Amino acid sequence: MSSTVTENIRLHKLANGLTLVYEPMPWLRSLSMSVLLPVGSINDPVGEEGSANVLSEWLGRGAGELGSREFNDRLEGLGVRRGGGAGREAMSVSASMLAQELPNAFPLLADMLRRPQLSDDQFASSRELAIQELASLDDSPGQKLGEALNARFFSSAHGRSPYGTMEGLAGLTPDSVRADFERRFTPQGTIVAAAGGDEWERLVELTEAHFGDWQGEPAASEPARAGEPGRFHVEEDTSQVQIGIAFPSLEPTHPDWYKHSLALGVLSSGMGSRLFSEVREKRGLVYMVFAAARAVRGFGYVIGRAGTTPEKATETIDVMLAEFNRLREGVSEAELERSKTGSLSQLVMQGESSGARASALTTDMLLRGAPRSLDEAREQVARLTLGDVNGYLGSLPAPQPLIVTLGKGEGFQ
Amino acid sequence: MKELTFQQVQLDNGLTVIGELNENAKSFAAGYFVNTGARDESAAIAGVSHFLEHMMFKGTERRTAEDINREFDEMGARNNAYTSSEHTVYFGAVLPEQQPRILDLLSDMMRPTLRQDDFDIEKQVILEEIAMYEDRPSMRVFDTGNERYFNGHPMGNSVLGTPATITPLQREQMLDYFRARYAPNNLVVALSGNYDWDAAVRQLEELTAGWEPQETGRDHPPATPKTGFDVIEDGKLKRVHMGLWAPGLSAQDDRRYAAALLANVLGDSSGSRLYWELVDRGLADMAELWHDPADGIGMFNGYLSAAPERAQEVLEIARGVLRDAKSNPPSEEEWERAQKKLATGVTLQSETPFSRLMSLGTAFLYNRAYQSAGDVLAKVLGARREDAIELLAQGVLDELYVLQLGPAAVPAGNGAASQVGTGAG
Repeated sequence: MSSTVTENIRLHKLANGLTLVYEPMPWLRSLSMSVLLPVGSINDPVGEEGSANVLSEWLGRGAGELGSREFNDRLEGLGVRRGGGAGREAMSVSASMLAQELPNAFPLLADMLRRPQLSDDQFASSRELAIQELASLDDSPGQKLGEALNARFFSSAHGRSPYGTMEGLAGLTPDSVRADFERRFTPQGTIVAAAGGDEWERLVELTEAHFGDWQGEPAASEPARAGEPGRFHVEEDTSQVQIGIAFPSLEPTHPDWYKHSLALGVLSSGMGSRLFSEVREKRGLVYMVFAAARAVRGFGYVIGRAGTTPEKATETIDVMLAEFNRLREGVSEAELERSKTGSLSQLVMQGESSGARASALTTDMLLRGAPRSLDEAREQVARLTLGDVNGYLGSLPAPQPLIVTLGKGEGFQ
Repeated sequence: MKELTFQQVQLDNGLTVIGELNENAKSFAAGYFVNTGARDESAAIAGVSHFLEHMMFKGTERRTAEDINREFDEMGARNNAYTSSEHTVYFGAVLPEQQPRILDLLSDMMRPTLRQDDFDIEKQVILEEIAMYEDRPSMRVFDTGNERYFNGHPMGNSVLGTPATITPLQREQMLDYFRARYAPNNLVVALSGNYDWDAAVRQLEELTAGWEPQETGRDHPPATPKTGFDVIEDGKLKRVHMGLWAPGLSAQDDRRYAAALLANVLGDSSGSRLYWELVDRGLADMAELWHDPADGIGMFNGYLSAAPERAQEVLEIARGVLRDAKSNPPSEEEWERAQKKLATGVTLQSETPFSRLMSLGTAFLYNRAYQSAGDVLAKVLGARREDAIELLAQGVLDELYVLQLGPAAVPAGNGAASQVGTGAG
């Protein structure tokens, strides 16, 4: 057990490997929690794809002594707003509340993770809901493209959809998912993050009391790997063609990360950024277009997204690719200044919201293995010069993108 | 810690400026709230409010479109705009030192040049936005359903318009609409967070000195909302999307908090009656009801999403839950839970200047009066269960309008459906 303080952020590691991270925000009445468990579609058992997703739904249906309805009523009676779900690498359980309710809400949330009832009678509907959510992707072309892009982009298990597969979901049984819970739910790699209020001592006490005796080894997961670049099309009868572009890039712990991040800001952070300006403002090709840095543990990549009617799809892709390539020629002083100002201003605004901070703390713990204070991020951004950023951009190889489209192929392929 | 301070002034040209000062905030948000939207359009110019919102970013006498976009970025602004049935809002959050700059930019944008070539390019963007929503059946069902439910009342007007109304739209028609609706007396400037009030008022007086007030109004014709059941078939779809409508209370009616709590008890996304009957059982992946108060009129709105083979059963159960509320109104326990849930939401929303600005500005447009987050909390926590029981007794949820959008012929719900229509696909 060890507690450390990095500027404003408090860190406490339990002997069993669970990490508590907290940022006090004493001027706020709210407190937001975000618990991240290293349980996701990447380590779903083979043949049981979607197990983490069903588990994430099933968990909330009764815990400790309380049945599904009592449990939910109790939390909502405290005014707790619950969120979360299963992702690729991790499952999240988030909760926002008035800080004063923490001592009442924490034991309930802990029960959900340590002592869920996972009763037979709640299993079928939990799985049914997961099946319906997967089926609903069919009426949501943007999301469907996102899944198709990921599936193609990763050659590792990171390409699996957090929704699971129809076959995987169909094969799940209450026993298989309970066994999965026993195996994958462990304190190692679990992060309990909170922000808001002024509750550090109470949080340490609650975390020790409710998670201190937890034991177990985490499930193994393979490192992320990218597949081959190329061009793929998914045929769908839709009004717009959904466009997804992805290529490998830097991970957040890379020394050049902030240069990368500011350069992407020039490409796509505001309405004056290059992509918005070239694709939408000058050519009227789209309503939505953006690029963003994405990361899983140990691996970073860039995605680009747009939606446009079929006859404009080829031009849209061409302009986007040209902009990705042009970035390697460097950015101007004014562009860099705008990207820095935008980034610094966003960091200040993030510091005003307990939910935004709790979520950023878990992301930093997952991807960087350490929390990052707003001051640290601000310093890293502020000290970079035009030479730093352009030196980095000049050293980059041409991106080898994967391009996936979804829509009516006729007219642009 | 300092308390919040409310400030308000009306300039000589009729422009109202309001502010909620929070000296503890690290940022500041400002917005122009225009009391105009799709309901203020005639059929010939359907979609013009939203198209105009886009055009307001396209340049002024002093700025090109590029200048506007660049300047927001130079300030590090988190900015955007939106158009609804009754409001058009332009807003941005920045650090306090950018106050003069963002007020200058937003104010300048309120007097656009609406150049023809920009108009032509932006029309393409609008058509893309319409195409994007065509691919989202959960949005489409509300666009179409609103029009049918409101049955000729302007609240049924589509915000985006359609390709048939946008394509022929002329710049001059937009200019006429702009002149009629963007008079200073139809605008409110709202500020929230950490700002300098005196400086803001002085600057706004200078920036808007030449703006001429004029007669602006809004029609409030009587509504004869539709009831019954319509089906639109679309072979491309895999799921059934159902929108539900019933008459509700206006944004000027104090019982709207009771209506919101009633909708929360019946149809919140978790822990509500619809949730337990449909989502918890795995019959529908979404089943929600909410209350939407508007200017002089209001409605309850719901959404159900289900597999085609279950759609009929899901709709029948949902109808049953809503009908049953009359004889089985919210219990005290359900009422208090809903109050707690809404109260947490109000508290979280009030914590950043950016999210606070929206409720500050829209509440003022509706009632021309300041409403602090504390006032809203008090209203939520003080809302009377008896008001909800009375609304139910009056039969607000007895007769619904339901629009079903889905793949193939799914038979209509039994009994409760008062009429079976077949929509145009």
